[in-house]
Amino acid sequence: MIEIKEKLEQLLLKTQKPARYIGGELGSVVKDKSKVDVRFAFCFPDIYDVGMSHLGMKILYGLKNAVPNYWCERVFMPEKDFEALMRENDIPLYALESLDPIRDFDFIGFTLQYELSFTNVLEMLDLAGLPVYAKDRKELTPIVVGGGPCVCNPEPIADFFDLFILGEGEEVNLELMRLYEKMKPLSPTKEEFLREAAKIEGIYVPRFYDVDYNDDGTVKSITPNVPEAKERITKRVIPDFDHAYYPDSFVVPFTQIVHDRVVVEVLRGCIRGCRFCQAGFIYRPFREKSIGTIAGETRTLCEQTGYEEVSLSSLSTSDHTKITELLTSLSDYTDKENINLSLPSLRIDTMSKEIVDRIAAVRKSGLTFAPEAGTQRLRDVINKNITEDEIIRTCRLAFAEGYQTVKLYFMLGLPEETDEDIAGIAELAQKVVDLYYETPKEQRGKSVQVSVSASTFVPKPFTPFEFEPQATPEEIKRKQGFLLDNIKSKKIRISYHQQRVSVLEGILARGDRRLSKVIYTAWSKGCTLDSWDEHFRFDLWQEAFDECGTDTAFYANRRRGYDEVMPWSHLDYMISRRFLVNENKKAHEAKTTRNCAEGCSGCGIKKECGGVYCG
Amino acid sequence: MADMLLPKNQALRLTRYEYRLVFEKKGRARYISHLDLMRAFQRVFKRAGIPLWYTQGFNPHAYLMFPLALPLGTDSSVEPLDIALIEELPFDELRDRINACMPEGLRIVSAGKPEMKHTEIAFAEYVIRLVTDRSPKETAEAFRSFLSADRIEVEKRTKKRGINLVDIKPHIDLLFLEAGESETSISLRLPAGNEFNLNTGVVLDAFASVFEGKIDSIYTTRTKILTKTGEYFI
Repeated sequence: MIEIKEKLEQLLLKTQKPARYIGGELGSVVKDKSKVDVRFAFCFPDIYDVGMSHLGMKILYGLKNAVPNYWCERVFMPEKDFEALMRENDIPLYALESLDPIRDFDFIGFTLQYELSFTNVLEMLDLAGLPVYAKDRKELTPIVVGGGPCVCNPEPIADFFDLFILGEGEEVNLELMRLYEKMKPLSPTKEEFLREAAKIEGIYVPRFYDVDYNDDGTVKSITPNVPEAKERITKRVIPDFDHAYYPDSFVVPFTQIVHDRVVVEVLRGCIRGCRFCQAGFIYRPFREKSIGTIAGETRTLCEQTGYEEVSLSSLSTSDHTKITELLTSLSDYTDKENINLSLPSLRIDTMSKEIVDRIAAVRKSGLTFAPEAGTQRLRDVINKNITEDEIIRTCRLAFAEGYQTVKLYFMLGLPEETDEDIAGIAELAQKVVDLYYETPKEQRGKSVQVSVSASTFVPKPFTPFEFEPQATPEEIKRKQGFLLDNIKSKKIRISYHQQRVSVLEGILARGDRRLSKVIYTAWSKGCTLDSWDEHFRFDLWQEAFDECGTDTAFYANRRRGYDEVMPWSHLDYMISRRFLVNENKKAHEAKTTRNCAEGCSGCGIKKECGGVYCG
Repeated sequence: MADMLLPKNQALRLTRYEYRLVFEKKGRARYISHLDLMRAFQRVFKRAGIPLWYTQGFNPHAYLMFPLALPLGTDSSVEPLDIALIEELPFDELRDRINACMPEGLRIVSAGKPEMKHTEIAFAEYVIRLVTDRSPKETAEAFRSFLSADRIEVEKRTKKRGINLVDIKPHIDLLFLEAGESETSISLRLPAGNEFNLNTGVVLDAFASVFEGKIDSIYTTRTKILTKTGEYFI
């Protein structure tokens, strides 16, 4: 495709940060097309700066390209300025390595990380020159597949995809590509291929299921319509996580991205069971890598990329069973090499003085905690087992070490929340400020800043709160105002989400197939890049809901019964409905559940899945 | 407290060995911005294990200096980059070690000792290849008549007085002008450096504003960096 390259050369100089659109970065994989049998366009439905930071893409990119005759390339959503230039100049969406149009690829895969990227999927398919509805793409290729956390309820976008991959992708992606490689010479129809694919564990082909509805609008049944389609599709898990594939090379971008550093995944899954947290349930069970594996991956990637920062990735790094040893081993290497070791996702209750010292040695800037709720009662409701004493103890330690900024994350609109709980947020922030002033002047830093982030709670599938109504926008607005009224200190800064964004997220997260039409309509009206404040157009979304006759409250603000058939009931994430119901009941009684390390609570995950604490 | 006088960081050594690299920036690498280029080189040096000298201050960083910025989109194989190391390395070894870790489109052409000061840079030469919707001959004629005007005024933003009109005509030195089969080649010598710098983009924008045809593509190469007396900057 010399043509695309030539056109690009002139256009790139007219756009912001052109290095995002031309590839050629260190670590990008370019293969000889004549020796490649299966081509995969890995699409991240957001802009380069965001997508290039995503760990899952790095893993699957390396995994697929490790097979000599498979070629996986990267594709991102262009910014609006470049998208306009592409359309004006008839440049179809292309992959960054070959600059070939992705409509000619065998697979187009989207990773679905958040609901607000759904319209970007449609935009990218359209930019590629493909019909957005799966039923209108009649040829065998490209086969449009989706993966990632949103696939635990893919129903609102089911009409646009040929198949979805549930759970962890390290094995099933290759199984799918091997099946295609085997069938391709036989020139199967798309239907024939999809029927075979549906037999693979973890692959969900939405067209092979019929959904019926009750008169009240709820789902009545989800029934397979071909023999190959299973009653329930079970997510994939890599039991031997310590030996799971991990890339030995990253693509190193020229232009600065959101997380511009080496990332090493130290553990997967979470032992905590916070009742609002989808990641805490859908990535179960808790598995970890050994110190040797983590140290080896860190060294290899630092040497390959030349980055001066490495970050440990997980849902809760301090839950690693050998955390102190791990940090000691890693910082021996990073100190010597002048590399920063950054540790997001540390939990307050497990932070020992030793760990605080370790981080402080690297950078004495900020400390982040997520108490999520303002009072102990509400923290018990959501099963966030942190006590105020623990927060205060750690902050005292940190202030004495010279820390000056503390970020506190909270949610508004949680089930069982009262105004007392909201006032509790302000009180807790104030206590942290007071604690700074109680610290002796010689020890504490120059000043203090407590940032309170109050996001809006969005109920998600496969959590104990999947049954809960979401607070209405009016109610959230009132709660935000109430919180503001309760803040007295100038040292406390408050930020919160746009309510409309949370409303849309809530509708899409628990939506059903009937929402495909709404997404299509909103996209037709010009909605894309919805997660960007400057591009988010709730007015257009509202028009789309109105035109499709959709009652948004039905999806967002309705309490679901314990026996209701959910739009995702045919998808098995190994968390039992019985467990979720039980957890929901305990939430309303403000009773906590022990974490996996303290003892099994019977969530439904089998011990064959390799969980550290299972069985 | 005597140990306070010694730099905590072992890389903070006072002896430094200076080198001037000449590098090439071509193909996809043309779209790396100046700021990104700095970062890209830092990572290249890190990967190659080049013992860089670190500046001494509150925020120590590797010493890297581009004596003359290359505009985004322009390719070149004559770009200088000054670095300082904490130990001496043979020129060829330095070049080869860096090249082994370079991304596509970037390459060190040579390594040597800096002989001139940055302030000695006075001119740069460029070859510009233009494709327009007119014939190359017509385009060449239009460019010649553009240059024959009494004054070529462009708007220049200044901090004090807002937008100013500047006559760039005395600063444009046409080296050759050629109408090829499909494109027009223009070679210019323009002032460069800290004192007064004129980009090809400014000249071409001025041309485009009087040209009756439409410019389809512009491909610019910087070919030489020169001193006041016309010597190569080394």
